[in-house]
Amino acid sequence: MSSGNIWDKLQAIDRRVFYWILFIALMIPYLRPIGFPIEINAPAKGIYDELSTVQPGEVCVLSINSGVSAWGDCLPAMVACIRMLAQQDARILVWGMGHTDIDITWQEIMDRSPELKDKVYGEDYAFFGYLPTQETTIALLAEDIRAVFSLDRYSTPIDDLPIMEDVNGADDVRLLLSSDTGDVQGYYIRQWHTKHGTPIGSIGIAMNASGDLPFFLSGDLFGLSGGSRGGAELEQLAGVPGEAITTMDAISVSHLLVVFAIILANVGYFATRGKR
Amino acid sequence: MFFSDIAVGYPTDMGGILGLWAALILMLMIYSYPLYKENFAYRFAEYTYVAVSMAIGIIVTLDSLIRTQLTPLVTKGQLILVIPVILGFMMYFLLVPDYRWVSRYPIAILVGSSMGVGLSSQIIPSILNQIISTIQNPGVGATAIDWFSFVFIAVGTICATMYFLLTYEHKGPIKYTTQAGRYFIMLGLGAYFGNTVLFRLSMLATRAQLFLQVLKIIPM
Repeated sequence: MSSGNIWDKLQAIDRRVFYWILFIALMIPYLRPIGFPIEINAPAKGIYDELSTVQPGEVCVLSINSGVSAWGDCLPAMVACIRMLAQQDARILVWGMGHTDIDITWQEIMDRSPELKDKVYGEDYAFFGYLPTQETTIALLAEDIRAVFSLDRYSTPIDDLPIMEDVNGADDVRLLLSSDTGDVQGYYIRQWHTKHGTPIGSIGIAMNASGDLPFFLSGDLFGLSGGSRGGAELEQLAGVPGEAITTMDAISVSHLLVVFAIILANVGYFATRGKR
Repeated sequence: MFFSDIAVGYPTDMGGILGLWAALILMLMIYSYPLYKENFAYRFAEYTYVAVSMAIGIIVTLDSLIRTQLTPLVTKGQLILVIPVILGFMMYFLLVPDYRWVSRYPIAILVGSSMGVGLSSQIIPSILNQIISTIQNPGVGATAIDWFSFVFIAVGTICATMYFLLTYEHKGPIKYTTQAGRYFIMLGLGAYFGNTVLFRLSMLATRAQLFLQVLKIIPM
């Protein structure tokens, strides 16, 4: 290595050095926000536009199918949507599939949504907790919510919750938002949207964005928030600036760093190729 | 009533502070593997994570079983719920080598019912609507970008589909179409990979944020 030129030396750098640089670089925008512009795209605007049409008293569902590990991508968008729905006096039902840490996620959403603090549990919103993920469960929920939940998360009988007075299934729900790290949103599209016409919006991790986009283009999803970027767009649209906008600065910095590393590695590769 | 004592902001109670510091220390122990090398601290944090996840999983699943199955069974006399409860317990025979065959029945019912429910409504969103949205032109008032996207998706779909038609040899004029299909597939995979990297960096960014928040360098 010592006898090589600069390209040889660069290619021999320990990858841990890059990890350290990346970790430190990610902190800079939190210390000094850069404020990279965030352009609003049609998928996130679709969510905002649909949520804007919700009338007071209409029932909306948030299905939390993402865990704590996806907070960076999904939490800001969920918070923005819940805050928007609460501002519009919608009735909000919350449940989740497949992730046993849903209680912590819902607690975090409540902590970050000051609008919910003026609402009454059981009348304006209700939380039903965890369900194992199966398409059959989602199909049954669409037909009869009471067949799945007889109690809420706090063991209150479902019929004692005023919010559930005239709510039996998908036909009584104005729209459903599915926060996903997997394919639960596909179940909702098939069982709630295709069979009952319930509008479905997706709040997914960035990894799923490419796979979810065709369902937005085909109209099966009214909107799509992909990753932190989607969350930042929703925060901007809903006028509730939060963490996603700052996180996008950090991610943009990290992307610039990764692109720089890729260019450097390729230049190094081609510069030393002749020697091999 | 159901709001936690820990509002947004740095916690003031001892439990909240200890929880934050535990999160930070365990996070650093986990990151010691990529940032340094495999070590005892990493393994300790890894085992702790697995143990805590298992414990939470068992408790939440049991709670779900009690709320959604056992309570209506006992309080409302919905005897039909005995069937899924029994089927669920039959799954555990997977752990008993001599009686593993017992678990095949609930698995068969689960797979069969899921497939039946799923397939019946799969065709409209996953096939018909996708074909319609692919062949439908953007219409009057569409921008140049909309038209470009329409042509790009239509051509990409045709070429990528032809790449997978293996009943004939890819030569002659077909060769160029299937080659283009290969490039479209590579572009698609590139987009998937890019989004995967974005997700991982987003996770890392929020950890960097937690690091600064716990040390009170930035507000929580």
